[in-house]
Amino acid sequence: MREIAGELQREYSDALRDYLARPNERALRRVYEMGRGTLTDGVGVLGIAALHHQALKDVIPGLSEEIEEALLIKRAEDVFIESLMPFEMSHRAFREAIAVLRRMNERIEQEAKRIAHALHQEAGGLLASTHLALEELSHDLSPQGSERLTLVRQLLDQMDEQLRQLAHEIRPTILDDLGLLPALNFLAKGMSKRSGLAITVEGSTEGRLPPAVETALYRNVQEALNNAIRHAQAGAVAVMVSREARAVRCSIRDDGIGFDVSAVTAANGERGLGLVGMRERLEFLRGTLAITSAPGQGAELLMHIPLEG
Amino acid sequence: MILEDHVDIVNEDDVIAGRRKVRMLAAEIGFSPAEWAMLAAVITELSRNILDYAGRGEVLFHAIEDGGRRGIAVIARDHGPGIPNIKEALQASYSVAGGLGVGLRGVKGLMDSLEIISVPGKGTTVTARKWLS
Ligand SMILES: Nc1ncnc2c1ncn2[C@@H]1O[C@H](COP(=O)(O)OP(=O)(O)OP(=O)(O)O)[C@@H](O)[C@H]1O
Ligand SMILES: [Mg+2]
Repeated sequence: MREIAGELQREYSDALRDYLARPNERALRRVYEMGRGTLTDGVGVLGIAALHHQALKDVIPGLSEEIEEALLIKRAEDVFIESLMPFEMSHRAFREAIAVLRRMNERIEQEAKRIAHALHQEAGGLLASTHLALEELSHDLSPQGSERLTLVRQLLDQMDEQLRQLAHEIRPTILDDLGLLPALNFLAKGMSKRSGLAITVEGSTEGRLPPAVETALYRNVQEALNNAIRHAQAGAVAVMVSREARAVRCSIRDDGIGFDVSAVTAANGERGLGLVGMRERLEFLRGTLAITSAPGQGAELLMHIPLEG
Repeated sequence: MILEDHVDIVNEDDVIAGRRKVRMLAAEIGFSPAEWAMLAAVITELSRNILDYAGRGEVLFHAIEDGGRRGIAVIARDHGPGIPNIKEALQASYSVAGGLGVGLRGVKGLMDSLEIISVPGKGTTVTARKWLS
């Protein structure tokens, strides 16, 4: 490793000396290729900066007698730009990739809205028509028949309730209409009923938050509650929302088996995908996620999102 | 004023000639030194692909104008094997270069537009444009 670095340094200093003495395209090409090579080797921008700096120290003293300093500086800049160009390209590509991911995320939210609406309105509408048809049918039935029909209606009511709940979880219209706390309450009620876990929601946002903040907090609480149900073996979960002057905070605390935070958040952990998604949603809003837990100690997630103005 | 130029790309020396000439034209048109370097990188990547995949070809560049805007077009042409799937060739997962954002993908990021026309077995023409800002 040190040997390779030494070799690379000699090569860079060579190319710089060559160019400073007499600007030529061949030297710039060499430097471009070195930059490209270090990019693929993972040397990084700081590595290139160090390489350039050391090369200047190696080369300038030998040339400063013959060539004016201002000219040397100007020429050295050409070389530096050339070595950084591959990193500039890489940087642009990543920026574009992130923008694409964000657009995709938005599109998924929109699609979820559409599906939730279809579930709620269309399937819900069909159910209502079914009720009406059954009502008509009931007039022609014997007493035993009507009793059985009542059972069918109860089942339909349950289905209606589940459809509503599903539609809500896919895209909570309450979130758009009434805000974060009502939406979280509805979510908690549904998840609590299905899982048997006691979920409480407390606090206040003191008015509506920006839509992107509401969506991110809602989705993250949803993810955290899913985690608590699936992994924590908890008895109770508490969701707390609080408003600060220029931020909103939200915590989710359970009394379950806990986990080793560093193991789960390790870069290679497949299990951590939910947490990675939570972080990504928050980072987009310049928010943060803190996780406190240890085996046997339950777990607490704390989200913090700054608000403008 | 020379407002167009071209270089046959057969070996590494031609790549260097292409880089030098594109810089001169870019200066003539009014691009900044950092942009000359971007265009030199574009020539390098397109020429590299010509040498790697087609063996030989050419790069051309000329000044362009559109409703008062001025810019430069860079065209790389070869009669090599062509690119079977252009969309894939531009994707990050396809090659090491693409994954890091250099190569064709890098060219796309440095220029304002990129257009690839390729006929399998007949060759490839890449046209990239950059406007003065
Ligand atoms: N002129 C060409 N003729 C045929 N195929 C090409 C040509 N240019 C590019 N390709 C195809 O497009 C792919 C992407 O090219 P790109 O320059 O982005 O990466 P690369 O050439 O694979 O990697 P590197 O540039 O580091 O060698 C290539 O792998 C090749 O299959
Ligand atoms: Mg290539």
